[in-house]
Amino acid sequence: MTAPVATPDVNVDESVSLDHPWKVVVWDDPVNLMTYVTFVFRKLFGFSKAKADQLMMQVHVEGRAVVSSGSKEKTEFDVFRLHGHGLWATLEQDA
Amino acid sequence: MSIFGHRRFRWVGNVVRVDLPADDQDLLRTVLPQLREMLMAADDPALHRLSPPTRPDDDEAEAAYRDMVDDDLLIQRLEAIEVVEQGIDGIDLDETGITAWMQSLNALRLVLAARLDIDILGHDPIEDLDDEDPLMPIAALYEWLGFLLGSLVDEAMNGFDD
Repeated sequence: MTAPVATPDVNVDESVSLDHPWKVVVWDDPVNLMTYVTFVFRKLFGFSKAKADQLMMQVHVEGRAVVSSGSKEKTEFDVFRLHGHGLWATLEQDA
Repeated sequence: MSIFGHRRFRWVGNVVRVDLPADDQDLLRTVLPQLREMLMAADDPALHRLSPPTRPDDDEAEAAYRDMVDDDLLIQRLEAIEVVEQGIDGIDLDETGITAWMQSLNALRLVLAARLDIDILGHDPIEDLDDEDPLMPIAALYEWLGFLLGSLVDEAMNGFDD
């Protein structure tokens, strides 16, 4: 038995999906300039300089970073945009 | 003034003004048509890096994704090359123009990197090549493109609010 809930305390937004969420991973590569990667993150995802720099450094140091997540359609579009800018991006689905 | 001291990109109001030295202009007029030709022929392995596998774990999903996006990616790249070609001798770039220049310069770098076999992190193409190496002109071109793209990125970065 569970206690009744009067008002569900959930913020529903458009990125919610019944699927397991998809993740966009950007991988380190020896070609793309670090400043360019930061610039692309800021432009495509609207990140602050601090956030974009932090993700760029994570890619550089750890070899990869998750830069966006959500529905299959949204993440496919993000990968498309990243590839258009020459970044090395892949899609993963949470198990 | 050295050629690297020349200010190639600078904000003027809300656009980035392009002012390339004649040597830069000549190089771009040479390499951009070659990139276009490669993209349209679509059979050069150096292009692989421009459209890396999105789903390396799932061939079927990968094929479906490629069917969906490859034409759009190609059209976008060809249009970006055209935008750069139209502005080589001087132009004011809005956000769309800045994107086209960045995408084209970076695509050239990625293709040249494949030619130079730059697949090891930290590998420096110029330091690792002999002066007599036939790849040296390509390495020099690669370095120059890195400088050019870096200059544009540094200037464009000042266009963000924070």
